[in-house]
Amino acid sequence: MAINSERMVVRGPNTVTAPPQPQAIHRRKKRFNTRTALTLLAFMAPAAIFVGIFTYYPMIAGSQMAFRNWNLNDLSDTSWVGWGNFIKLFESPEFGGIVRNTVVWVVGSLVPQVVIGFALALFLKRRFRFRSGYQAFIFFPWAVSGFLIGMLFRWMFNAEFGVVNDLLMKAGFIESPIPWLAEPGFAMTAVIIANIWYGVTFFAIMILAALQSVSEDMYEAAALDGAGKARTLFSITLPAISVTLGLTILLRVIWIFNFPDIIWAMTGGGPADQTHIITTYMIKITQEGDYGQASALGLIVVFTLMLFAVFYLMAMRPRKANR
Amino acid sequence: MKSKLATITAVGLAALLTLSACGGGAGTKDGANGQVTLKMVESLTNPTRTDTIKKLLAGFEKENPNIKVDLISPPTDSADQKIQQMLQSGKGIDVVEARDITVGSFGANKWLYDMTADLKGWDGWGNLTENAVNYSKQDGKTYYIPYGFYGLSLFYRTDMVKEAGFSKPPVSWNDLLTQSEKLNDPGKNKFGYAFRGGANANSNAVAVIEAYTADQVDKENAFKLSNGKTIFSAPEAQQAMDDYLEIFKKGSPPSSVAWGYPEMVQGFSNGSTAFLLQDPEVIATIKESKSLKAEQWNVAPLLVGPTGKAIQPVATAGWGIAESSKAKPEAVKLIKYLSQGEPATEFSKDNSLVPILKSAAKDPFYSTGPWAAYVTMTENPGTYISAVQPRGVSWWTEWIKKSDGELQRVLTGKMSTSELLASWDSYWTEKMAG
Amino acid sequence: MIDKQSTFGRISKVIFLSLCLIVTVFPLYWIVVTSLKAPGSIYSLPLDYWPREISFENYVGLFTKSDFGRYMINSLLVATVAATVATFISLLSAYVLARFHFAGRGAVMVAFLLTQMIPGFIALGPLYIMMTNMNLVDSETGLILVYIAICIPFCTIMLRGFFENVPDALEEAAMIDGCSRLTALFRVLVPVMLPGIAASFIFNFVNCWNELFLSVTLMNSDENKTIPTALAGFISSFNIDWGSMSAAAVLTVVPALAIFAFASKFIVQGLTAGAVKG
Repeated sequence: MAINSERMVVRGPNTVTAPPQPQAIHRRKKRFNTRTALTLLAFMAPAAIFVGIFTYYPMIAGSQMAFRNWNLNDLSDTSWVGWGNFIKLFESPEFGGIVRNTVVWVVGSLVPQVVIGFALALFLKRRFRFRSGYQAFIFFPWAVSGFLIGMLFRWMFNAEFGVVNDLLMKAGFIESPIPWLAEPGFAMTAVIIANIWYGVTFFAIMILAALQSVSEDMYEAAALDGAGKARTLFSITLPAISVTLGLTILLRVIWIFNFPDIIWAMTGGGPADQTHIITTYMIKITQEGDYGQASALGLIVVFTLMLFAVFYLMAMRPRKANR
Repeated sequence: MKSKLATITAVGLAALLTLSACGGGAGTKDGANGQVTLKMVESLTNPTRTDTIKKLLAGFEKENPNIKVDLISPPTDSADQKIQQMLQSGKGIDVVEARDITVGSFGANKWLYDMTADLKGWDGWGNLTENAVNYSKQDGKTYYIPYGFYGLSLFYRTDMVKEAGFSKPPVSWNDLLTQSEKLNDPGKNKFGYAFRGGANANSNAVAVIEAYTADQVDKENAFKLSNGKTIFSAPEAQQAMDDYLEIFKKGSPPSSVAWGYPEMVQGFSNGSTAFLLQDPEVIATIKESKSLKAEQWNVAPLLVGPTGKAIQPVATAGWGIAESSKAKPEAVKLIKYLSQGEPATEFSKDNSLVPILKSAAKDPFYSTGPWAAYVTMTENPGTYISAVQPRGVSWWTEWIKKSDGELQRVLTGKMSTSELLASWDSYWTEKMAG
Repeated sequence: MIDKQSTFGRISKVIFLSLCLIVTVFPLYWIVVTSLKAPGSIYSLPLDYWPREISFENYVGLFTKSDFGRYMINSLLVATVAATVATFISLLSAYVLARFHFAGRGAVMVAFLLTQMIPGFIALGPLYIMMTNMNLVDSETGLILVYIAICIPFCTIMLRGFFENVPDALEEAAMIDGCSRLTALFRVLVPVMLPGIAASFIFNFVNCWNELFLSVTLMNSDENKTIPTALAGFISSFNIDWGSMSAAAVLTVVPALAIFAFASKFIVQGLTAGAVKG
């Protein structure tokens, strides 16, 4: 399940991206004898049991509440209501704003993360003194939990005693303190800044790993052709890592979408629902006891993300073929 | 080779089974020595209070060597949700902190045990205040016994009020506007009123509206006028909200749009705001503040409306028993213990709550210093009118969500006060008719 | 090799990297400063960028007012056990998914990927009830089991990538030598994949070390709390205790930071090993 899944992000992309290796292509289909089949089963069993019991069972049990009138404040009538919870959600006045916020949150966090992360990776690619020490520090946001990051930035963005306002005023950018977390536009900016801070590292690591696997021969060939820096970047580097980059972005979108921790700790979705994204809103509804609606929202999230992933992967396919 | 694999699988499964075999339930009775363990869950957790409860429980365990009480203190933010889950699962919970706003739904779901029979002829009844008895016997059922009452009063900074040239703290909402406006100095990080714009912002907004409509409010249902309409429909309500919005604009920190309980209290206790409308609970917190000295602050009665009256909304919470508990007699014993004599007094004093015991009226603790304002209020029931808000209804959380959200829209300029009142009026008209 | 860097390029590199470093490290610096201020002086203006007087009161308070040492031990225990078991289990399943083509292989992958798309809040209620029935609420064992389950899907996917980059001739040779499949896996493959396995373990560990929502849901008694739950507890209804919160945050981040510093080379190395040669 996606609780705290942010942390897991790093694990995936490069591996998902890995196109078949030469030997993998030649790998023949193995014919299993009974013993091998049993071994395989035994190897898969622990993972299947764990994920089945502790992840899938509760998720499926939770999903069925989406179609029932399941409100912890009054459980006397938990009858099936079909799409009732979904309709109620779509009709609620907050829903449009929350969808819009979610898009702003995802795009606003993602684009700077990609750009800064890419630049960082390019600079880190070449060895320099203290590089590994530098990496250790620059990777540090990954060691911090989303909740803690939210609390940290909530404290730094505090209107009266926060360091952000103090610095901005010292630098002369503003004259009076900005109530960061109380004004709609500023609040969204603040939570996105916190998320960018958190996520840049991730892109830097992934892109760096991809860059380091691009063969030096290609750069040398480009240099012989007299290609300039910009051209090398666009005609060699980018195409070489495009698959990794594309899939990293896809996974990232999924995780940012599903990442309520920072917002929940910083603003709780306020002011006036202006920083509520779908998942924070889901927490809010859960806390109010309406599990039916919360589950319905959860299913909307899953459906949206699956749809997005499918279209995204379809759009990426031709590029893959060009390589 | 096959056997190796089998061994590994077997070991793994065995490990899983042993792992899952441990862990204990609640209200467990150990047959051998008759030892009973009660699980008690609190909701409005804070470190000082948790310490007090632990001290009281130690006293109880001393008196009842065969009962042990485990206190569970979830983080406040998610405590009520956690309590719901525990009650629903029916395990691991015996004594539970029920609040006036949760008891309605807990009762409706049959999660709470009705203690009426157990408390028949209990000698403790005679020592409880009228209010405490009434709340214990709501709708003829005793789901919980209150441990104290909350009520609003005005915390103010004596030094700041004086410096600004005022001889006394605000008495009415209008005074508050005048004084806050004068005191407000954003450049110096000094503000007038610690406005509540965040979580539960509706409560203070309703307090203003009730003060302005005090003459017509139905005491049995403080959201209703004596003519049967909602308080939000009264023309005075419009004036109330407009004045209230002025206080926000001219006398409060801009960041207070997002202030809930902790931020408000902090805004006052760290010295940045001069006024705070809060529960007596806060007295204990402010006493611990490192930024305020005792002579810098005091408490005044709740603010009155234009006709010189205010409605005091009574809020409460207390201890109840889970229907699923297997140790009800022991749980009843504990609740009785907490609801009388020394433990009850100690709890309400440490957490500065309005006490549940009659005897407290004679206690000098409650007539001096910050508490004097509460005495003033109890002694003038004509000015500070007690009325019951419909806090127990099962749609109360829905109401909080709706009203908080809309109030923030007003504060951020996305909604007008008249739209807000119209919306609240139609919401309650519909609910009260249904 | 193109190694000509213009002066301009070098300067912009230095500036950019310094800027990134400052922005990244500043919040850490700020919680350290906040944690070292005396509780009252957090709210004194103008802000001090270094405590006027260094006070350890917040830290002392953590261990006297709350049982923070206990929470740290709990977190360490839960995270270590869960990360170890999850990495081990994932290693087995990843091996199967990487080496064998069988019916349902794609379905397993999709099932694992799907767990990443579902907001966990859907599952909390039923999970709580299930855990209660299994007597696993408020037990470290219960929390460990759930953590293992949430770590497995991605860990498997990641490790599978590493396996695909190791030629299968390796373990086949070993198996011809008479090793069983399991022995071959551990004697031959694991050593080759060590950086990747280390990286997976570290991510599992940090993931569990920081997990909040499940821990809040499943743990009740004080002696079973983990650090994130304790952190959440510093927001009481009256007060957000920024001083204690900062001190606790420093104590939480430092161990994770140390592991990261130690392992960052591993991580990039591990990931690079998994990535494709152009």
